[in-house]
Amino acid sequence: MEEIVLGIGITALAGALATVAGAAEDTESDIGSQGDPNSQVQLAPQMGYIHRIFNKAISGEPPAYGAWCVIGAGVAWALMQINYNPALAIILGAVIAVFVQGIYCTSGYLGRTASLAKFQQPVYIDIIKSLTPVTMAHSFVAIFCTVAMCYLMATALHHPFALPLLGLVWGIALGAAGSATGNPFYGKERQYQNQKFGAGVPISASGNIVRYAEAGQRSSLDNGWFTTKFAGPASGICFGLIVFLELWRTVLFEKMMSGWGAIIMGIVLILIFTFIDRWIEVWGRKTYGPYGTTEEASS
Amino acid sequence: MTVKMEASEGGMPHNTLMIYGIVVAVVGTYLTYLNVVTGIAVFSFFGGIAAIAALWWGSDTIKHLCSYGLGTGVPSAGMVAFGSGAIAMIAGTKFGLASPIVTLILAAILGAVIGYIANSIINMNIPVMVTSLMEMAVVGAMTMLGFAAMCTGTFMFSGLVVGGMTLSMEPSAGAAGGAQTFLVTVLPEFAGSLIGGAALAVIFFLGAMALQHPFNACLGPNESQDRTLMLAIEVGFLSMFVVAVMSYAFLDLVSATVGVAISLIGWFYSYKQYIALSKRDAYDWLDAKPIREVGGDQ
Repeated sequence: MEEIVLGIGITALAGALATVAGAAEDTESDIGSQGDPNSQVQLAPQMGYIHRIFNKAISGEPPAYGAWCVIGAGVAWALMQINYNPALAIILGAVIAVFVQGIYCTSGYLGRTASLAKFQQPVYIDIIKSLTPVTMAHSFVAIFCTVAMCYLMATALHHPFALPLLGLVWGIALGAAGSATGNPFYGKERQYQNQKFGAGVPISASGNIVRYAEAGQRSSLDNGWFTTKFAGPASGICFGLIVFLELWRTVLFEKMMSGWGAIIMGIVLILIFTFIDRWIEVWGRKTYGPYGTTEEASS
Repeated sequence: MTVKMEASEGGMPHNTLMIYGIVVAVVGTYLTYLNVVTGIAVFSFFGGIAAIAALWWGSDTIKHLCSYGLGTGVPSAGMVAFGSGAIAMIAGTKFGLASPIVTLILAAILGAVIGYIANSIINMNIPVMVTSLMEMAVVGAMTMLGFAAMCTGTFMFSGLVVGGMTLSMEPSAGAAGGAQTFLVTVLPEFAGSLIGGAALAVIFFLGAMALQHPFNACLGPNESQDRTLMLAIEVGFLSMFVVAVMSYAFLDLVSATVGVAISLIGWFYSYKQYIALSKRDAYDWLDAKPIREVGGDQ
């Protein structure tokens, strides 16, 4: 019984860490402009729209965050092998991972922008100076929380995987959660505020992203101001729920039916969420959407 | 998928690059064997140099493969290289002193099979697919082998899976005369090793990111070979730095510090060079200047 109570406590703590990690990850990727919305940022100069948005061409968020978290977890693991204090080891691991992340950010921006010289897009060096530290700070929070969560799983819950492998798996999950949940707020909404709400992005508007702000010219920090309020919490809830429910079903139902209890519970959870998603979609269409009323509205 | 586009012309021919890459990668990996010959582990950093050479060549291979209209497929190309390379590398390390050569041959065979399946069975129909995937698998395998040799000081299988030894003491049954005796056995410990502790996953991702990043970051109409290759060296040294920090768990203090120092010096130099090359290629280099409108509807 005490074991289960401890397990539930660890589950709650890991869920809380994951929520913070998810929010920080999505804010970081929106300020740095990573993932699928970045394709529009790259397209803009080719369509004649010179902009001052960060262009973090690394890879999709899941592999990138898999890499940062596995670096953090791997360095932390190596330092714990030579008897460093776990808290210090995790902090040092996250610091080194953030260093690598920052260097990748700057080289991604410089490389892509320099390769767009044909379209007269200049390199704005102040963007690197002002935005890279912001993305690194958010990234540090995300990596530290994820590695700390993995450490809790490995030591307190006795997960059979080694710490670096847990970091890899949960880092990819973190990137996927942020990419799937948070990016629509940035890519579909914030970049295209000049288009009709809910209209999608017509081909003719490709690359015509919003480049001017309330005052002056929009930088990626203005995007961060928007996505911190909407996309970050949504991603945080998404990743927090994933971690919490995953650990919850394992801690409570693992002993039932020699392990099958947790698997059955997982399938039940998937079915419940499929039902909720479908219900929200239908409700949203009926309440807000122009769908189904007229055909010509979607020209 | 067969429209070729936007790979820069000129520069060093790809085959020359490949030969340099293979030679430095194999020789560098073998130089880590000086650890065994001399008995001190300071020669481990040669593994990192070998891995950087492989990455340098691999980023040019990715450029050739991905110039066939695979813009968003660049990161996946890095992953497939290391996925196939990991199998070859782990199998190859079983062959003792011949490990680097066997790894290279196994990876080439594996890459050829994967390339054949992708090209002829899935019908991707890219002319350079088979040779490119062969090269990529070799790059992935040699990078992992090089970094693993740098991290642990050896490229042999036993050194990668055994982290240390623990003594197991059991009371010996039937001891004569009632004296308390123990049966002491030496048990190898796997959890603290490179593969058992999953530190190889770190090397996998460090290499895969470093392999795909140079061309992914530099692609575009004004991509130039020297800038892309300089970025490959830069991210290679950056990955080597992380591996050097991790090697504190396996090597002595001096050897690991030598690795950290060499990787930091190399990274700093190549990063400076890369920024200079970006400045050369960029349309303009502005600090806190407004947008200059060239078109659009604003």
